[in-house]
Amino acid sequence: MRSIQRRLSLGLISVLLIVGLVLAQISLWLFEVGLQRYLESGLRNDSELLLVAIVRGPNGLQLDEHRLSPGYQRPYSGHYFRIDFDDGHWRSRSLWDLELPQPEQTGLHADLELEKTRQSLLLLHSEYRKFGQKISITVAQDYTPVQASFVLVQRIGLGLGLAALLLILALQRVTVRRALRPLDTAREQISQLQQGQRSQLDEAVPLELEPLVAQINHLLAHTEDSLKRSRNALGNLGHALKTPMAVLLSLAESGKLEQNPHVRDTLRDQLQQIQQRLERELNRARLSGDALPGMRFDCDIELPGLFSTLRMIHGEHLELNNHVAPGLVLPWDREDILELLGNVMDNACKWADSSICLCITQASGGHCLLIDDDGPGIPVVQREEVLGRGNRLDEQVTGHGLGLGIVKDIVESWGGRIQLLDSPLGGLQVRIDLPERTVQPMAD
Amino acid sequence: MRLLLVEDSVPLADELISGLSRQGYAVDWLTDGRDAVHQGASEPYDLIVLDLGLPGVPGLEVLQKWRADGLSTPVLILTARGSWAERIEGLKAGADDYLTKPFHPEELQLRIQALLRRARGLANQPTLEAAGLHLDEGRQCVSRDGEEIQLTAAEFRLLRYFMLHPEQILSKSHLAEHLYDGENERDSNVIEVHVNHLRRKLGRAVVETRRGQGYRFGGSGG
Repeated sequence: MRSIQRRLSLGLISVLLIVGLVLAQISLWLFEVGLQRYLESGLRNDSELLLVAIVRGPNGLQLDEHRLSPGYQRPYSGHYFRIDFDDGHWRSRSLWDLELPQPEQTGLHADLELEKTRQSLLLLHSEYRKFGQKISITVAQDYTPVQASFVLVQRIGLGLGLAALLLILALQRVTVRRALRPLDTAREQISQLQQGQRSQLDEAVPLELEPLVAQINHLLAHTEDSLKRSRNALGNLGHALKTPMAVLLSLAESGKLEQNPHVRDTLRDQLQQIQQRLERELNRARLSGDALPGMRFDCDIELPGLFSTLRMIHGEHLELNNHVAPGLVLPWDREDILELLGNVMDNACKWADSSICLCITQASGGHCLLIDDDGPGIPVVQREEVLGRGNRLDEQVTGHGLGLGIVKDIVESWGGRIQLLDSPLGGLQVRIDLPERTVQPMAD
Repeated sequence: MRLLLVEDSVPLADELISGLSRQGYAVDWLTDGRDAVHQGASEPYDLIVLDLGLPGVPGLEVLQKWRADGLSTPVLILTARGSWAERIEGLKAGADDYLTKPFHPEELQLRIQALLRRARGLANQPTLEAAGLHLDEGRQCVSRDGEEIQLTAAEFRLLRYFMLHPEQILSKSHLAEHLYDGENERDSNVIEVHVNHLRRKLGRAVVETRRGQGYRFGGSGG
C-alpha cells in the first residue's frame, strides 16, 4: 500500500504543473496578442506619416526627407519602410542593402526574418491611393527585443512557478503530516498494543478515526471479555468435575475398599488418569494463545506475589533469586505467564536443595526465561522423554501441578521453545525462548 | 485441635470429616459462606479449611472479611480452580496454604499438620517434638528415648494439643473448646480423666497442674 502522503504529493504536483503551465502559456499568448495590436497601431501611424511625407515634386512624386523619423536613417536601426508606387519604389536608408520581405496581403505580419540580421520583424503592409496613384507602404519594426523580453518573462515566470510549487509542496507536506498525525499516533499505539505496552487505543482522535478506534477498542474489550468468560466457564466446569472426583479419590483411599484391593487400585488408577487428562485439557483451554490480552505480565507487580506463594508452598528454607530487570513487562497474558512460571518454578522448588534462580532477559528476537535449581537435575537421556510426553516431573514428590506438560502447551502456543539444560547451580536449567510478538496475517 | 470445614459439597465434606476425625481433629462443618463469616470469627478454631466455591458469599470474600476483622487463624484453601493466578490471589487474600481438587486425603492431612506446626512456629519434621517426647501424628503414638508408648485417640488429641502449646498454661475450658467440636458436650471432667491417663503413661511431671489456672505441659522438662 502506498503512503497517503506520497499519493497526495503526486496528485498535487501533477495538477499544479498542468494548470500552471496552461495558465502561464495562455496569459503570455494573450499578452503578446495585445502587445502586437498596440505596436500595430504605432506602425499604422508610421505608415500614415510616410503617406503624408509623399509630396508632388518637380519630378513626379517625392518623399519629404525632413518628415521622416531619424530611425529610418540609421542603418539596421530596427525601423524600416518601403514604399511602392507605379514608377518605382523607395526604401528607408536604414535597410541599407537588405530587402524588406514583401507580403502579398495587406495587414500585420509577424515573425518575418530580415535577411542576414537576426532581426525578427513585425511588419504592416497597407495600400493607399494618393495623387491618383496606387501607393503601397510597408513599415516594419524590429520585434526581437520584445521577443527577448518575453523569453525573459517566461524564464522568470518558470522560476517563480517552480519556487511556488516547491513552497506549496512543502506546505502541503506539513499540512498533510499534521492532518495525518492522529493516524500515525494510532499506528504507533497499535504497535504498542502488539508489544504489550498498552491495552487500549486512545479515544481522543479526530472524527474520521473515531469509528475505527472505537471498533478496535470494542474488539479488544470483546476478546478480553470472552476470554474471561470462557475461563470462568472452564473454572466452573472444573469445579463441577473436581469436587466429585475429590470425593471418589477420598473413597478410594479410605478403608472401605480394603477388602477389594483390585477394585481400589483400578479406581485409583482411572481417577489418576482422569485427573491428569482433565487438568491438562482445562489448562490448555484456558490459554489465551495469540489473542491480544488486556492484562500484561508486569514483572515488578506479579513476581513478588508468585515468589511469596512459592515460599509459602515450599517453605522458607529455599532461596528464591530473582534476576529480572526492574520495569520489565512481558507482552503476554498475565495469567498464562503466571501459569508458565508457576509450574516451572514449582517443579524447581520441589527438586531444589536450597536455591532457585529466575532470570528473564530481553534480547532482540524476544525474551529468554531461565529457571535454575540446584537439585539433582535430569539425566540427558531422560530429558527428551520428560518433554515429549508431557510427563509429570513430580511423580515421586507430593504436590499438584502437571510438571512441564502445561508449560509446553503454553510455550508452543506462543511459538516458543523449551529446553532442559545443565544449570550452573548444579541442577536442571529450564530455558524458555519466546519470540517477539509480531503482527501476523490471519492465516489458517 | 479444632477445625472449621467450610465446604458446600455434602459427599466431599462427609469424606473429609470422617478422615479428619480419624486423625483426631474435632471438625465443625458449614456449607454457607454467610455462616462461615460469622462462625469463623466467633469460635476459637485452630485451623480453617475453606472451599472457594461457596453459596451465599464466595470463599475469597469470606477470607478477606476474616482477615479484615483481624482473625489470624491459619486458613487452608480448597478449590477446583487450580491456576496460579487464582492461587496467588487466594494467598494474597490471606490464605496460608492452597490445595486444588481433587487431592489425596493424605495430602490434606499432611498440609493441615504442617500448617498447624507452622502456626506455632515449629519446624515441619516427620514427628512433633516437645519436652523429650516424639509424637508420630500418622500412627498416633508417642516415643521417649526410643521407647514407644501407645495412646488412645482421646489421649493422642490431648497430647498433641499440649505438645503444640508447650509451657503454656491451658485451662480446662480452653482445652475443651479446642478438643471437641461444637456439637459434643464439653465436660471438663473428661479432660481431667485424660490428663491423668497421660500422666500414668508418661510420668507425673509431664503435665503440671496449676491450681485455679489449668495445666502446663513440659514445664519441668519431662
